[in-house]
Amino acid sequence: MAGSTNRRAVRWLRGQLPGLVAAGVISPENAQAIERHYGSEEASSSFAFILLAIVGSVLVSAGIILLIAHNWDEFSRPLRSAIAFLPLILAQALSVFVLLRRNESKPWRETAAIFDVAAVGTAISLISQTYQIQGTFASFMQIWLLLSIPVVYLLRTSFGAGMYLIGAVVWLFSIENFFGVRASPNLFWLFLALLVPYYVIRFRENRNSAETAILSILLAVAAAIGLGMTADFTRTNMGNLAFAGLATTIYLCGIIFFPREDGLHPVAFLGGLGVGIVAVVLSFEPLWNFHHRLTTQWVEWQSLGLAGQVAVGIQILFPVAAVILGLWAIIAHGPVRFSLVAFLLPFVTAVAWLEVYFCLGDCSFLAALLFDLYAFAFGVEVLVRGIRVRSVARANFGLLIIAGLAICRFFDTDLSFVERGVGFIVVGAGFLIANVIFFRKRATTS
Amino acid sequence: MTSFRLIIFAVIGLAQLSVPASVIWKREQTLRQGRVWKFKTAPVDPIDAIRGRYVALRFDAETVPHSENTIPGPVGTTMYVTLKEDAQGFAQVDHLNEMPITGDNVMKVKQGYASKDNEYRVVFPFNRFWVTEDDAAAAEKAYFENSRQGKQNAYAAVRVRESDAAIEDLFIDNQPLREYLRAHPQ
Repeated sequence: MAGSTNRRAVRWLRGQLPGLVAAGVISPENAQAIERHYGSEEASSSFAFILLAIVGSVLVSAGIILLIAHNWDEFSRPLRSAIAFLPLILAQALSVFVLLRRNESKPWRETAAIFDVAAVGTAISLISQTYQIQGTFASFMQIWLLLSIPVVYLLRTSFGAGMYLIGAVVWLFSIENFFGVRASPNLFWLFLALLVPYYVIRFRENRNSAETAILSILLAVAAAIGLGMTADFTRTNMGNLAFAGLATTIYLCGIIFFPREDGLHPVAFLGGLGVGIVAVVLSFEPLWNFHHRLTTQWVEWQSLGLAGQVAVGIQILFPVAAVILGLWAIIAHGPVRFSLVAFLLPFVTAVAWLEVYFCLGDCSFLAALLFDLYAFAFGVEVLVRGIRVRSVARANFGLLIIAGLAICRFFDTDLSFVERGVGFIVVGAGFLIANVIFFRKRATTS
Repeated sequence: MTSFRLIIFAVIGLAQLSVPASVIWKREQTLRQGRVWKFKTAPVDPIDAIRGRYVALRFDAETVPHSENTIPGPVGTTMYVTLKEDAQGFAQVDHLNEMPITGDNVMKVKQGYASKDNEYRVVFPFNRFWVTEDDAAAAEKAYFENSRQGKQNAYAAVRVRESDAAIEDLFIDNQPLREYLRAHPQ
């Protein structure tokens, strides 16, 4: 109880500070010192409190949903409808209270946001059951997401933003194919775009916070899942190019917007990992066996329909973004701080794509070979950069890419067991020797 | 700043309330003013009969005999059907239309896959009947027993108005499902 009185008193005191400064009772420096004093005290305990508030609100919300979902059919339809609105109205009242009185308290904002979002979902689903509404789960998710996103902005809830992203991915998996007719995933990109301004606000506020890092990773992963679905929807063989663009974009964003003196930011690491994976995956020949659907003929482009055309546009957006971002970084920031080979990924993919697309006959082998060379070059570059900056992790990642490539080729090609065995020994020995040399070199220099 | 936030929240709050409210409004209109049609249920696969908390419904009238005036669209196309009553008073599809039409005998459907040459399949906008947790198991049994080959004794009463179709109740042996379950305790 003493604690809560204390917090209340602190809140009151902080509210009084601007007035006291204006009246000349204390100096602005004094006011700042008081703010700092109480600010540091609050920060230490607030993280645990936020976590507890989130867990508590999630549990209570889940309980309310289960109780209400019981579908009490002893009650009349209007009464059941009224019950459905009850949690929503209570949650909205709580949100108003928080906006008026607890706007600066993160735990309060997170709690109010969780209740409100859960109450919206509860109201819609209960009304749907009461009135035998036949909508699909996807259409329910769609409305729920659109009604929830403003709450993320207004109550500034990053937990809510994360949940919203997960919800958008759930929507993506719930869109049903009606008798084999594929449903368009384009709306997913609108859901994602609606969250971007919130992400930019968080980024500008504190780019180095764990909150921004987690949101960045969630955004990147969600975009990758969405891109997979979009490529699958159009079936225009654009997926290779789109994923190359996405991996490079994430990598470049990590390097340019999250610069670090020591090591890599998680976003840059994720992007680098993506570039490595895409490079190795694209070295498989079947990935370049195009089913020619989108040709240069205008008629076939039209056959995609508007949704298909938009989906193709979205896929092209990623390699274009990667190229613009890289060129901008080179022109604006001078000396290149990122891996040039990684930046080349969309270009190499475009060359391979055009080669397969315009070549007559079976041309997938050349494209796969190009990626064998590219993945090898990328592995070597990462290894060399790792050695240069004395990063064991980075050097080993370079080795891992080379080893991954080698292992894939062993399984991919018709080599005998003896040849494969020798190959594995060579790759493994390479790992060991490189690490021994690396550690020795580091020991002598230090 | 606070008043600005409150105004924004008022707009959001109204939107959150208006979505379920508009659903209620539209459905109440249909349930009060719509014309009642009885749709005889088709035999069901027992595995398919109940999924959690609703009875999955299939209808005889979803199979439309082939005739001159029916236009098959691609699967999944939205179409409008006019309804008519057969000799027993059950609803049947009369015409298929690609363009929207109005009336208390018009329903929005989707084109499905035909299994035979001389018929079309349409998919009605209602295929599940929500039941309470306690009734779920009994409802499944009752529906299955009365909706199989040789004993088709179930129908859904549906109100239709301005292309909106609202299930009013599921009838088994001419009794609403809840009354039937009370009269036939498990």
